[in-house]
Amino acid sequence: MKVAKRIFETARSENRNYVLENEAKDIMTAYGIPIPPYETATTVQEAVTKSKKIGFPVVVKILSKDILHKSDAGGVKVNIKDEAAVRSAFEEVMANSRKYGSEKGIQVDLSRGVLVSKFADTGTEVIVGVIHDAQFGHALMFGLGGIFVEVLKDVTFRLIPLTETDAREMVMEIKAAKILEGIRGQPARDVDALVKIILDISRMVQENPEIRELDCNPVFLYEKGKGATVVDARILIEGSQPEATSTH
Amino acid sequence: MSENSTRELEAFFQAKCVAIYGASVTPNSVGQAILQNFIKPQFTGKVVAVNPKYKQVMGVPCYSTLQEVPDPVDLVVVAVPARLAPAVFDDIAAKGSKAAIVISGGFSETGPRGAELENQIVAIANRSGIRIVGPNCVGVIDTHSHIDTFFLPEYRCGRPRASNVANISLVSQSGAFAAAISDWTAHLGLGISKIVSLGNKCDVDDDDLLAYLAVDNSTQVICFYTEGYDQDKGRTFFDMAKSVAPQKPVLVVKSGRGERAKAAASSHTGSLAGSDSIADAAYRQAGIIRADNFEQMFDMAKALAMQPPARGDRVLMVTNGGGLGVMTTDALEANGLAIPHPSPALEENLRSRMPAYCAVGNPVDVVGDTDAARYDGVFQAAIESGEYDMFVIGMLLQTPSLGMDITNVIANHQRQSGLPFVVVSMGGSFTTKAGEIMELMGVPTYATGEKAALAARALARYGEIRFGDGFKRTRRSGNS
Repeated sequence: MKVAKRIFETARSENRNYVLENEAKDIMTAYGIPIPPYETATTVQEAVTKSKKIGFPVVVKILSKDILHKSDAGGVKVNIKDEAAVRSAFEEVMANSRKYGSEKGIQVDLSRGVLVSKFADTGTEVIVGVIHDAQFGHALMFGLGGIFVEVLKDVTFRLIPLTETDAREMVMEIKAAKILEGIRGQPARDVDALVKIILDISRMVQENPEIRELDCNPVFLYEKGKGATVVDARILIEGSQPEATSTH
Repeated sequence: MSENSTRELEAFFQAKCVAIYGASVTPNSVGQAILQNFIKPQFTGKVVAVNPKYKQVMGVPCYSTLQEVPDPVDLVVVAVPARLAPAVFDDIAAKGSKAAIVISGGFSETGPRGAELENQIVAIANRSGIRIVGPNCVGVIDTHSHIDTFFLPEYRCGRPRASNVANISLVSQSGAFAAAISDWTAHLGLGISKIVSLGNKCDVDDDDLLAYLAVDNSTQVICFYTEGYDQDKGRTFFDMAKSVAPQKPVLVVKSGRGERAKAAASSHTGSLAGSDSIADAAYRQAGIIRADNFEQMFDMAKALAMQPPARGDRVLMVTNGGGLGVMTTDALEANGLAIPHPSPALEENLRSRMPAYCAVGNPVDVVGDTDAARYDGVFQAAIESGEYDMFVIGMLLQTPSLGMDITNVIANHQRQSGLPFVVVSMGGSFTTKAGEIMELMGVPTYATGEKAALAARALARYGEIRFGDGFKRTRRSGNS
């Protein structure tokens, strides 16, 4: 895909081995993966205009080549409900990022501004990820989000490329699969939408083997017929390891 | 792997003339032990020795160089110190031999100097079209041709035999495990076709052997022991196994289940992915059956070698002991198999064939006073009904009413129906003997219900791999 190649080139030219969130989402959009509406803004005024265009509530996140883990840097503000809140969120995210940089002794590049995104309705949290294994190559991971992944490590893997059968097996073989079928009066989740995301990611990585690691975390999965949406996306590409010390 | 490569590997198993480079008169030396294997009467090919020190070793003509050997040499077994290996390979190249097993250690496993020697022999081999097994290995046992480079005395390390029914081949990264399995399978009387120890895999690797064994008519089941793969080699093995597995069962024992260091991971996914969980997924996806240990591997391999795969997951347990029936059906259930009750029609049919005190259900309990005829009636009705894909038979022989004709009844129904049968028979020496007879008739027999259940699970899993959507699953797959 041309979009992906162009973005990876930009990243490499800036000495990054990861792409910015808007870039990751541009690539995923090109592969038909559902993402809540998003825009970028480099000024307060632009952030306000874009927020109105998207419709409240929104999320504001820092976009910088120097910040891989945005929350750690205080670079994320969620559930912003009006224009005034967007203004203060923008200033705050910028200030936090600057401060984060000075603590680390670096001048954080703030020229990319922020990502303004629709604040998605909460759904069942799932995670879809990719890693590159030295022995087996690219593998795709799926699991339920939150406690299931953090504590129970209830995840499953397949090598890329996946067939639809592989994707459906994955979804059904995690220990908490019953949650997706609907338990205790909950409606069943939109497994078809999830399977489509898994297959689209598989195709995306197959066509862009320079991808080393990828996280769609969280993906919100809605009830059957209502789809799914990738709330946060991260892509790392070939190159030297970033100096990031923490995960999240 | 090309057809060409498969043909190149033939010499390792079918060589007509073998040279032992480094043959020795020193008792208990590697060079003597290997030569000894080739002067046993079972080996019907020709053997020569190469060592400038001798004119003959144990009555075998010995030459200073390979080039002096008058006959063409198909396979060279190299047991010389590593530093001499490059000169030996020059000699092999000059002679025109195309296959070498390098037993010696002292190569890449020892560090950069050894790695350099290994590179040198690989370079010579590549130039001259020589295929290499090893170095740093025990080499090959072929139970048909009796090629045997294991330098371990037979009284310590038994050699397995080929069976008339079905044979298993094993490829092992570890030489010590290869030897232990040779000894162990010899003791168990399991039918083995080939055992190959790959050592440093400087040339011939898992992929080559998988391709070779896939088309080898004397191998019914392919087993691997591995500790991991070189860069990208897991992927190439995966790709090849995907095409082989539906044709022939492939089993793997892989050690190193522990999670690798995750310090480098920058993503959430990276921090969750142990290398072993990727391997596990790859095996499953390729249709490779993974066993936790060798005991499980051979319990499964035996069933897969002797029996056809199941076309569905419905098992009928027929037993003459209630306890054995319950324990085995518990194990079958834990292994993800379905144990459906007979339909009313079948139930009525079964009742009409047995005394009223027998229990009709699943298991069908033909009880302790049964003879073979009662089993016969149950098999007839159950097979005819089409309600079951597989039979697990409890055969307790402590009661004298059950004659040895039971083995005929089981084997006949298995053969006539084409459905997979597994026997569980607990007991002592009489039972063990009966089990051996049962297996000679082609039906795998196990000492416990748990082992039989594992075998049944392998037959169902392989049915899934072989038949894909044609496999009828009635029970939802769990996480068992």
